[in-house]
Parts: sequence; C-alpha cells; structure tokens
Amino acid sequence: MGNLEMNKILEQFKLLIFVGILILIGQWVGFGNEILASLPGMILVILISQLALIIKAAFPKIKFPAFAWATMTALILSMPFMPTAAWFLKTTGNVQFLGTTTPILAYAGLSVGNKLGVIKKLSWKIVIVAFCAFIGTFFGSAIIAQIVLKIQGII
Amino acid sequence: MADKMFTKGLINSFVAVLIIVIISEFIGINSFSVGIATVTLLPMLFAVIFGILATPGILGKVIPPLKKLVNDEVIEFAGPMVMIALLPLGVKYGTLVGPNVLKIIQAGPAFLLQEFGNIGTIFVALPVALLLGLKREAVGASVSICREVTLGIMGEKYGIDSPEGTGTLGTYLIGTVFGTIFFGLLGSLSLATGLHPLALAMASGMGSGSMMTAASSSLAAAVDPALSETVLAYAATSNMLTGVTGLYMVIFISIPLVNKLYDILEPILGRKGGKNNG
Repeated sequence: MGNLEMNKILEQFKLLIFVGILILIGQWVGFGNEILASLPGMILVILISQLALIIKAAFPKIKFPAFAWATMTALILSMPFMPTAAWFLKTTGNVQFLGTTTPILAYAGLSVGNKLGVIKKLSWKIVIVAFCAFIGTFFGSAIIAQIVLKIQGII
Repeated sequence: MADKMFTKGLINSFVAVLIIVIISEFIGINSFSVGIATVTLLPMLFAVIFGILATPGILGKVIPPLKKLVNDEVIEFAGPMVMIALLPLGVKYGTLVGPNVLKIIQAGPAFLLQEFGNIGTIFVALPVALLLGLKREAVGASVSICREVTLGIMGEKYGIDSPEGTGTLGTYLIGTVFGTIFFGLLGSLSLATGLHPLALAMASGMGSGSMMTAASSSLAAAVDPALSETVLAYAATSNMLTGVTGLYMVIFISIPLVNKLYDILEPILGRKGGKNNG
C-alpha cells in the first residue's frame, strides 16, 4: 500500500472544496446554473475526485494519473447497465462540463506566466519545431482514425 | 494553525482565479469564421491568457497592486492546483464516456491504431527542424509532444542537459505555456480540413489532460450539438489510452525511429557547418 495519510487527504479535500466553489460561481455566471441546485452534483463530483486521489496514492506502482482514475470511476458509475447510472448522470448533470475547465486553465495560466522568461531563452527555431510536433501528432492520429473509422463503417 | 490551514498562496490564488473565472465566463463562448474555418473561443482560453497576463513578470510589473495579489507564492501554488482542479473535469469526462461505452468498444480498432499517429510528430517536426539548422536538438524536440513521460525518458537516456534533452525540454515548455491556446484554436479550425469530427476527437487525446480538453472542447462547441457528447467521449477515451500506451510508444518506436530518420535526413536537409544550438 502506498501513502494514505489522513492529513494529506484532508489537505487535498480542502483544495477540492475551493475548486468546487470556483466551478459553482463560474457556471452560475457563464451558464446561469443556480448555485444551490448544483450543490449536490458538485459534492458528488468532489467526492469522486477525492476517491481518485486516494486510489492513486494506494496503488503507486500503477502509473495512472489521478485524472484518469476520476474518469474511470465516473465511467463505471454511468455505464448503461449500472443501477447507479440514471441517478449519477442526473446529479452530476448540474455540473457543467465547460464550467469545470475554466478554473483549471486560470490556474495553469498563473503557473506558467513566470516561464515566459525561460521561453525567451529558447531558440525561436524550437518554438516552430514544437508547433510542428503538435500538428504532427494531431493530424497523424486524425488521418489514421479517419481511415479506420471509414473501413469499419462508423463514419 | 489557522494561517497554516489557509496559506497566503491558497487565498490569494483563490481570489485571483475567481476574478479570472468570472471575467472569462462573463465573456462566454465566442465564434467567428475565418474563410472556410470557424474559430471557437471558449472561456477557458480567456482564462489561460488572463492567468499568464496576471503574473508578476507581465502586468504585475505595470500594476503594483496586482503584484501584491499575484505574488511568487501564488505562482508556486498554482502549479499543483492545476492537478487538483483537473479532477472534477476528469469526473465529467467519465460521465460522457460511460453512457457511450458500447459505441466506444465498437470503435476499438480505430482507437488502438490511431495511437500510432503520435509518431506524426517525427515526420512533420524533424524535417522542419533540420531545415532550420538544428542538429541533435531536433531529435529531442520532435520525438513526441514531450509531456512529462517523454521528459523523463529522454532525461534518463541522454541527460536533460544534452542537445537531445534541450530539444525535448523546449517542446515541453512550449507545450506547457502555449499548448492549450494552440489546441484550443486548432480544435475548431481543424474541421475545415474535412476530416470527420470523430476522427478529430480521437486525435485530441494525445496524453495531456489540458491539451485534450482545449482541443476537444473547442471541437465539441463547433460541431453539430447532437455529436458534441460523442466527440468529448472519444477524446477522453483516446487520452486515457495514450496514458497507457504513450510510455511504450516513445521507448520502443519513437526514439529508434527518430534516430533512424535523423541519420537518413540529416545529410540531405541539414545545414552544413550548422551550429549545435542553431
């Protein structure tokens, strides 16, 4: 078993609550979702997020990020033949997908702002090469997917 | 105890992020067309730009009170907070994949095979790097999109201070700073290529949670609403898959391939007498 300290779990839980508040306010501004009506769904989402962190800490040997554990847990609870599916989808439905993305990117922006200095030191050539790498992986995968999906008759 | 419970980094970053979130959500979703392509700007895109602008090195220099709110402690705190803030999104992705699980299993072969598309980085970026006069940095910069896993592998194999390591670190940093902005624009723009939204959705899952989110959300906002949920579900599934296969892909396929291709292409495309640092 990995590192399952109560203190660490409480610390993470506290941070998740802050994130939950940001999401609730954000989706109220952006989508008009009432904060109180969305609260049960938000609590459920936070509890599963916490569970994902605990699973990750419990199995450090499996190199799977907590993000993926969170997806996996919610995936299992919402599969069509699961008895939990209807309730789970209805409750978490009050948390907007796009509403969860805005705080992440705000934190991401803050955390990378100071790295602009490091970027300035890189050769501009690497900047172009990096963008080419992004385009390469994206369209490489898209073209293969397009061909295989067509062969399978899905698209 | 009380001030240990709520550190300045936590409170200040909360206030800063709250302000950024409110402004970004208030601006909302904006779409406009550029020729045949449509660009969809999501609140998350504004949020990352406002976040970067708010840091001490940029607007903090001009507006002193901002520097008091967003100080170095906040910047340091914001990094680990990204990981925590990603989790509710992970849950939401799960609720998109779950109901579509049978459709996804059906598309299994496409999901597995498109993983090989990740070596597309090498075919596009390596020739460009060589034409620009890069030498061994080109190998590191084009081996993959260079997220943490690749950084670890390349660091171990070549050393992070080596030319190869410098290249990988370069692509990593560019991805960290500009990745979400780049893919947030590419996600909706890519529809203009005529590739099917589901193929583009699979392509959005490239092993980085935030880049996948940027690409797939802007794609989902630009397609027919009936297709949006499937787009997000496909992207999340493909991203999970890359999380599993990515490491092996880099070690067993990408590194040998990029070196082989370098040996072939360097004499043709490489600049004679080029300096190592380009």
